[in-house]
Amino acid sequence: MPIEALYIHIPFCHAKCSYCDFDSRACNGISLERAASVYLDRLCNRLDSFGAAGAFAHVATVYIGGGTPTVLGSRLPWLVKRVREWCDPVEFTVEANPESFDAPLAGELACSGVTRVSIGVQSFVDDELRAIGRLHDTPSARAAIEAALSSGLDTSCDLMCGLPGQTLASWNHSLDVAIACAPGHVSVYPLTIEEGTPLARRAEADPTLDPDEDFQAECMELAGDRLLHAGFERYEVASYAKPGKICRHNCAYWTGASYLGIGRSAASMVAADELRMFANLFGMSESDGGAARIRLVQKDDEATRFELECLGAREAMAEDLMLAMRMTAGAPVTLLEQARDVIGKVRVDEAIARALHQGLAAIDSVTGALQPTERGWLLGNELYGLMWDLASS
Amino acid sequence: MFSSYRLYARGLDTIRPMDTFDTSHIRNFSIVAHIDHGKSTISDRILELTNTVEERDMESQLLDTMDIERERGITIKSNAVRVMYTADDGETYQFNLIDTPGHVDFTYEVSRSLAACEGAVLVVDATQGVEAQTVSNANLAMNADLDIVPAINKIDLPSAHPEEVKIEIEDELAIPADDAVCVSGKTGEGIHDLLEAIVFLISPPAGDADAPLKALILDSYFDEYRGVVATVRVIDGRIRKGDQLVMMQKGHGFLVDGVGVKRPAETLVDELAVGEVGFVVTGLKDPEAVHVGDTLTYRDRPCAEPLPGYREAKPMVYTGIFPIDNKDYENLRDALEKLRVNDPSLIWTPETSVALGFGFRVGFLGLLHMEVVKERLEREFDLDLIATSPSVDYHVFKTDGEMLCVRSPQDLPDVTRIDHIEEPFLKAKVIVPPEYTGAVMQLSIEHRGVMTDMVHLSQKSVEMRFDIPLAELILDFFDQLKSRTKGYASLDYDFADYRTSELVKLDILLSGDEVDALSFIVHKDKAYALARGLCDKLKEIIPRQLFEVPIQGAIGNKIIARSTVKARRKDVLAKCYGGDISRKRKLLEKQKEGKKRMKAIGSVEVPQEAFLAILKVED
Repeated sequence: MPIEALYIHIPFCHAKCSYCDFDSRACNGISLERAASVYLDRLCNRLDSFGAAGAFAHVATVYIGGGTPTVLGSRLPWLVKRVREWCDPVEFTVEANPESFDAPLAGELACSGVTRVSIGVQSFVDDELRAIGRLHDTPSARAAIEAALSSGLDTSCDLMCGLPGQTLASWNHSLDVAIACAPGHVSVYPLTIEEGTPLARRAEADPTLDPDEDFQAECMELAGDRLLHAGFERYEVASYAKPGKICRHNCAYWTGASYLGIGRSAASMVAADELRMFANLFGMSESDGGAARIRLVQKDDEATRFELECLGAREAMAEDLMLAMRMTAGAPVTLLEQARDVIGKVRVDEAIARALHQGLAAIDSVTGALQPTERGWLLGNELYGLMWDLASS
Repeated sequence: MFSSYRLYARGLDTIRPMDTFDTSHIRNFSIVAHIDHGKSTISDRILELTNTVEERDMESQLLDTMDIERERGITIKSNAVRVMYTADDGETYQFNLIDTPGHVDFTYEVSRSLAACEGAVLVVDATQGVEAQTVSNANLAMNADLDIVPAINKIDLPSAHPEEVKIEIEDELAIPADDAVCVSGKTGEGIHDLLEAIVFLISPPAGDADAPLKALILDSYFDEYRGVVATVRVIDGRIRKGDQLVMMQKGHGFLVDGVGVKRPAETLVDELAVGEVGFVVTGLKDPEAVHVGDTLTYRDRPCAEPLPGYREAKPMVYTGIFPIDNKDYENLRDALEKLRVNDPSLIWTPETSVALGFGFRVGFLGLLHMEVVKERLEREFDLDLIATSPSVDYHVFKTDGEMLCVRSPQDLPDVTRIDHIEEPFLKAKVIVPPEYTGAVMQLSIEHRGVMTDMVHLSQKSVEMRFDIPLAELILDFFDQLKSRTKGYASLDYDFADYRTSELVKLDILLSGDEVDALSFIVHKDKAYALARGLCDKLKEIIPRQLFEVPIQGAIGNKIIARSTVKARRKDVLAKCYGGDISRKRKLLEKQKEGKKRMKAIGSVEVPQEAFLAILKVED
């Protein structure tokens, strides 16, 4: 399987949100300029090396995420063009935050070859935005969506439930505004308190900040109802799209496709035989013998240190099943058959039977695919756990 | 891992404890005290002042070598250490210091250790004075005919009142306190005086070096490589490597693999001479072969008669101990046997539970003892265990006239076949300042106690006596007593007799199925409140599951309390892109590990602590 997806990480933000544990540093003004130019130089070197090695020949989707890529300003369209020198993706997404995304930048990005923007809105209630340390407010979020749409970009809007101070009514309001802004794609994430974040420290002192699971369940259900009603389809546990607007790049992550990640903290996943082409770029002489799938995470700016994870055939299979359970399409019959071959029929059928018995998944009567149920969406970890268990004999 | 002694000892060449000491230069003594009065700190200071341990190696509670002891700041096991002291008279003395536990649960360990001594240092806290365990330990020491050196500790504290404590010692213990040594384990003040007092007030051991060997086994533990290692006190004769010995009660013989002393690291010596304390490597691989309290003698030249054995410690409380994973059943049995080598009070019988599978009903001296044993089994033998509700030994009289001893609610016959049930009662003695008598009376009533006597001992203390069911005392009585009297009360108790009580079996049902391991025997009048409390507590402890879990409390077929663990509605991590996948998988694995520590009862995952929820129900 050739590499279909390319991810590029921009580890800068204007300010770090209180819930965020992604790799990003808060930078502004001249210090951002300096850091960004050094970082981008290295990034482009990597890009060119991989390009020269032929790694991008089949790339269909590109995603520049962060951090907040839009803090790069006009350097961002430049970077997009640099990427497009090596490949011609059908989908090219850039992550954006409202405070650093306006109509001129939207226009420039569209011109440079970006097709899609994913905007970190999170909420349309100002108090909730402040509570999690977001820099933008509701009007700028509306303006950002408006700017993206007017530039002809496919637009996605992220929303979060379980925020401090959020109520079912305020959540409903955020959904109202999101639907009214008419993006083609909405992602709905329940807030999780990650260790080591400022929010985690605050929640330790004030347990009411800990998101209530029942509340989040209600929010997720409400979002499902409202978005479906507004013409969206749920194609993944957290992702809703109008027809033709699903994110192909993200689907690559959930269907076992190979992807390359460039930049600090970016993850690559490749089949063992593919790695041979450019193993030297990961500082490896040769790929690991027994592994079917290799995941590499870049640990530094210079791309000299990588975290390596090798999965055997059985583990890779279990991972595919686990990820398939995130998607509406589920695990198609072909995948289930493959799993029976690799893992063993008894184990796989046992896991399927349990998922069915617990009401977490159902068999599609037409295609025979194993698909998550409504309950399977909300209790995803149970369902994913069942599948990942198959990795161990 | 029984002997996790760190290597503190100085090199062999500097020790010279193997020089033969004539018995007039040997002092064998214990340090006894009420819990928290500071005997471990005093032991530490003695080791330090006699240079047994270099200052740089000094850490607190040196003699408490078990992790549990250090973490909890308590002494559970006795420990014998040899210390060399050059006294003011210029002579060098060999001290064998035997550290002993302070908690009421471990009294029998104290009496075992005292049998090896000629004297005892009785430590009394200069701020708290004589407390319950001071009295009982002093009594044990006097019954063993020991020379007692009173030491008043913590004199560095501003609230210390040593002169009053001296009067208390004389009045309450009838021990002359003129010679009491005032010390501070913390600053080291007075420790030198204490060492001098030990030399002059405690008698040297009597004993005949040329007589046939007679040695008392004080303690023993199992070592993977060396087999059973026994701590002994030589009464007559001597022990050397290569001696053929025999244990007089058990009859097992063995060749001595080595003898040594703890300083506090284990150090081999040429011989254990008359009057000395040390350890003997038996090489015996069967933990059961060595019985604490037995007498060692020569196989070919035995002594005339064995030393009197110990009074066996009687368990008061019984709980079921089950491995979470049934495959560990045999490992648990092995672990119990190995633990018994150095805790002879442990007894057990096999028990089967529908909910928990195969396990054991284990007898304990008290709840602290239970906690300690469970923790040691889990840590030292790497087991995941469930302990079930504690029970006492009930006498159940059946309609056909037969009497059953019931230690587990599951063994209770059907109500229609029970004529009546008797339960053990204690005579409890509480000493408190007068302002707390009301609180203690209230507590006693709540625990079905009947006051029998109340005497003003002094202006500051009242002695209250009452009869109380053991079953009430083993739950949270002691903690409640401490909290309601701001820690002032002391408690002592003795078995009284068996009395008829109206007892019923309270069953707990999870998702409609009775869980035998959660059943509990309780007085009829308390059943409703307890059932409600237990259902509520279990609701807190049992995590939300995929399905709603009703919890019910029942007596026979009658449901008397209920609560519900609501079904879990959401458990999903929605964000999962390229870099998140490995992390999410690890999270799923962690969740699974968490489940492993729970017991699946039917379809319900029940955490370990649910089975001891009864201890956490508030009145």
